[in-house]
Amino acid sequence: MLYDISLKITYGYEAPVSGGRHLVRVLPVSIPERQRLVAGSVTCQPAPDERLEGRDFFANHTTSILFRSAHDHLVILMKARIQAETPAITADLSPPLGALPAELAGLWSVDSESPHHFIGPSPLLPAVPEIAAYARAIAGENMTIEQIGASICNRIHRDFVYDAEATTVNTTAAQTFELKRGVCQDFAHVMIVALRSLGIPAGYVSGFLRTLPPPGQERLEGADAMHAWVRFWCGTNCGWLELDPTNDIRAGTDHIVVGHGRDYGDVAPVIGVLKGYGSHTTEQAVDVVPVG
Amino acid sequence: MAKKQTAVPEEASRYGGGPALGYRALPGIADEMLGADGNVRPVWQRLLATLGSMNEANLADRFSRADRYLRDAGVFYRAYGKENSERSWPLSHIPVLIDETEWATVSTGLVQRAELLERVLADVYGENRLVKGGLLPPALVASNPEFLRPIVGIKPANGHFLHFCSFEIGRGPDGNWWVLSDRTEAPSGAGFALENRVATTRAFSDLYAESHVHRLAGFFGAFRDTLQEHKQHADDRIAVLSPGIANETYFEHAYIARYLGFMLLEGEDLTVVGGRVMVRTVAGLKPVGVLWRRLDASFADPLELNQSSHIGTPGIVEAIRSGSVSVVNALGSGILEARAFMAFMPSICRHLLGEEQKLPSIATWWCGQEAERRHVANNIERMVIGPAYSTRPFFDDDGQSILGASLRESAKTSIGEWLTSDGGKLVGQEVVTLSTTPAWAHGRLTPRPMSLRVFAARTRDGWQIMPGGFARIGTGDDVAAIAMQAGGTAADVWIVSDKPVDRTTLLPAEESFTRNLPGSLPSRAADNLFWLGRYIERAEGTLRILRAWHGRFAESADPNMPLLKDVSDYLAAHGIDTRQPVPGNLLSSIDSALSSAGNIRDRFSPDGWLALNDLSKTARKFHASVQAGDDATHAMTILLRKLAGFAGLVHENMYRFTGWRFLSIGRYLERGLQMTGLLGHMSGPEAPDGAYDMLLEIGDSVMTHRRRYNVNTAAPTVTDLLALDALNPRSILYQLNEIKKEVELLPNAFVNGQMSRFCRETMRLHSGLAIMTPEAMDMAVYSRLEQDLQGLSDLLAQTYLG
Repeated sequence: MLYDISLKITYGYEAPVSGGRHLVRVLPVSIPERQRLVAGSVTCQPAPDERLEGRDFFANHTTSILFRSAHDHLVILMKARIQAETPAITADLSPPLGALPAELAGLWSVDSESPHHFIGPSPLLPAVPEIAAYARAIAGENMTIEQIGASICNRIHRDFVYDAEATTVNTTAAQTFELKRGVCQDFAHVMIVALRSLGIPAGYVSGFLRTLPPPGQERLEGADAMHAWVRFWCGTNCGWLELDPTNDIRAGTDHIVVGHGRDYGDVAPVIGVLKGYGSHTTEQAVDVVPVG
Repeated sequence: MAKKQTAVPEEASRYGGGPALGYRALPGIADEMLGADGNVRPVWQRLLATLGSMNEANLADRFSRADRYLRDAGVFYRAYGKENSERSWPLSHIPVLIDETEWATVSTGLVQRAELLERVLADVYGENRLVKGGLLPPALVASNPEFLRPIVGIKPANGHFLHFCSFEIGRGPDGNWWVLSDRTEAPSGAGFALENRVATTRAFSDLYAESHVHRLAGFFGAFRDTLQEHKQHADDRIAVLSPGIANETYFEHAYIARYLGFMLLEGEDLTVVGGRVMVRTVAGLKPVGVLWRRLDASFADPLELNQSSHIGTPGIVEAIRSGSVSVVNALGSGILEARAFMAFMPSICRHLLGEEQKLPSIATWWCGQEAERRHVANNIERMVIGPAYSTRPFFDDDGQSILGASLRESAKTSIGEWLTSDGGKLVGQEVVTLSTTPAWAHGRLTPRPMSLRVFAARTRDGWQIMPGGFARIGTGDDVAAIAMQAGGTAADVWIVSDKPVDRTTLLPAEESFTRNLPGSLPSRAADNLFWLGRYIERAEGTLRILRAWHGRFAESADPNMPLLKDVSDYLAAHGIDTRQPVPGNLLSSIDSALSSAGNIRDRFSPDGWLALNDLSKTARKFHASVQAGDDATHAMTILLRKLAGFAGLVHENMYRFTGWRFLSIGRYLERGLQMTGLLGHMSGPEAPDGAYDMLLEIGDSVMTHRRRYNVNTAAPTVTDLLALDALNPRSILYQLNEIKKEVELLPNAFVNGQMSRFCRETMRLHSGLAIMTPEAMDMAVYSRLEQDLQGLSDLLAQTYLG
């Protein structure tokens, strides 16, 4: 499936800021057998005084921009054409939970795809005892890793209410768990903490959803802004599997990956340090249109 | 020293009390002064003889000389997490003496260790062969909070990750030295070692002079020269990067910067432009080529590292990646401080260097591995169990580590389970008993447990080990009490030779004499100096008004008398409540001055600092005790005298660098503002009775007025003297005169021969006032002038302090 994707992030500053530096992660990555970035660009308005493209540790695209003069708004525009592959649904070859430590111990690697980066707590996601208890109650004795992941995904979808007003970008997993409300970022965070509490490596995926569903299907929650879901490691044979707890589905052709990280902090679309005071507003507009 | 000689018989009896003044080592524990055979080690004999020849009073006198030095030099450290908690430095006066032959062995071991650590770091942030080869479990990297992913793949600009590290070492019961912990992130203590040395030699100057003790200066000099060589451009600055005054070792950052002649900067001082790190100075942006980092790496860049950091520099990782700046030590070096690394060092050493570790770490087992976990469980009585990724040694980690022996008693059954479920997060370390060294307690030498902090620096000739360091000494027999925070003390370490030693000092030799160019004052320092000037002057202005107020109140005892009421209203508008004899807002001005001064400790003499502290303490005491009227007048006079003392120190002793100009402009501007406000309020047609006399008193101009004018005090003469007389150091015009002089000497006062905007505005205000006559000075003029002066302050901030 070929998609044309556009993302427009608009910042309005109450008082003009005299300068600023931002790190932008919005351009989708290419992933073998998953998706290919055919073409893509990131533009900013006003034009930055300095700009540098790069890749971070997890191989996400980064654009670093610097402003030296005063401005009262900032628009970041990303356009990309993505060739998304239809993932083959394979049989569940993942091991039971008890076999995972041995598989991990046999994996002598710390490259960016290594599950070792996704076991421990990460900057935004410390362990939460309540979520660990929740996960323990879901994970059955004889379940495979994949089954555990799917069960937790399903339970979060059932137990939590989608509510854009309940949380902010800074809400912690513990708070979301208490509220039982939130958006894709919150659900992904709770699911990651739950999986890690069982010793299953889990990470954050940021990306996009197809805006309008194929005929006859329901529109997915989270399609009008950037979306987030979870990937977790199912052993050496299966590798990483992606699940979307907001919609309780496997991430498929309609889920386009922007980047991977341990939590939101690793893949936040824009991290910025501004020189100025006063508040600002943010708007996000996303369009994901199939072109063939 | 004209001390009375002690009677000989008593000396003899003291020395005769035993070979070591009655000092006895503890059974089964090694001792620094007594060898395994119980005899005094040769290097200690001279010190013992000196001690033996002294009586209690001699000794107390010597110790107090050392303490006085530390107090006068303002040496302090700060307790974790407490504001305003400067503690005086806890010196243990008896140095630890080590023979240079033994030290050579320790040094060789540490040089090997430093080299090994460098190789491991380069691999962890580079090719990761150690992990791939099974020598380092991936979790030790990937789960390590000090592993900084944005640094992966960056080659340090100067070719190396590690340049300055320290080691905590201790001597075990068998007499051999062990490494207790490695410090590779931003080791502290080297500056304190220097201060310990100076203080201890004050107590034992005679002994120090005649013993062949290795000097420390050569070590620092070599490191300084090496950092100079890291510069890529001639105009690159070298700076010590500090997290700021809230850090527990900020004193040391300032001390080292001053000692080595580097700038002392904080993250906020820096900005990244075109991939280069620049310091914001009053003369614009200047390049920084080398940063000796004392800031924890994760806080260095809020964009790529810890996003919640407010003390970092956005973009600095990008600058490091571009290779334009040399950072010492490289960001991410702290990963090696994790205790669990020690478990793998022996095999990594064999693999990378093809030899055994010459100075081994204490035996360590990471519980993330099956066999190791079993070993720890089976030998639990001989173990300390602690967090695997802790970067602090077990005897100094706020009780996070637990003695295995104590575990067995309380929760015997769950140890195995605990080690299994939390295995990866735990290490077991063999309990070591540290050696003891003599400390002076209860009027005699007493054995106390000790560990040494030793420093290593990479120089152009390879790693050098500081000949000395500092010894941390416990308060009792308890090993856990060594940490300074828990009440331990620190002692100097003398490496003693039997031959004369090189007596290098860091005083520059004549041929290397250079005069540093001024003009690179960081904007933040200028800002603090400017506000120090303003707050000091604000305090003085308030004190003068209050003194005059209480003088009159003492006579009338009626706060509603029109003049007193009028002045109370004026003060109330500035947040000063005359119902409090020493108002809280006055204390705030003094405290603000103190905190501004605290931010620029490196540019400030210890005398000035002490004077300000004394002022603040006295004001606080008065605030609690002083009564209105005469008592208050007297108190204000004392405070004014102390302020004058501080001002005198600044005026007489401070070099006329750019920083001094900002301090002065701050004072003149604030004094001008105060006088303008006061005259505007008190000299109108409705001025209450006695207002002009009071103004003269506040303006310290009573005598002058009497001499200059042949008339009684009245509006025109008082206005003439306090507003327009260019020779009266309290007049408004005088302040503008002085500001004008200073402003013309500031950087960028003239651009292409034209006055800067700030310069022009100063000129405009000055000329505007200079042509005024007393009659024309009405409330509207004062009010406009007050606004203009305020505007001038803002313009200065925009021009120089942004």
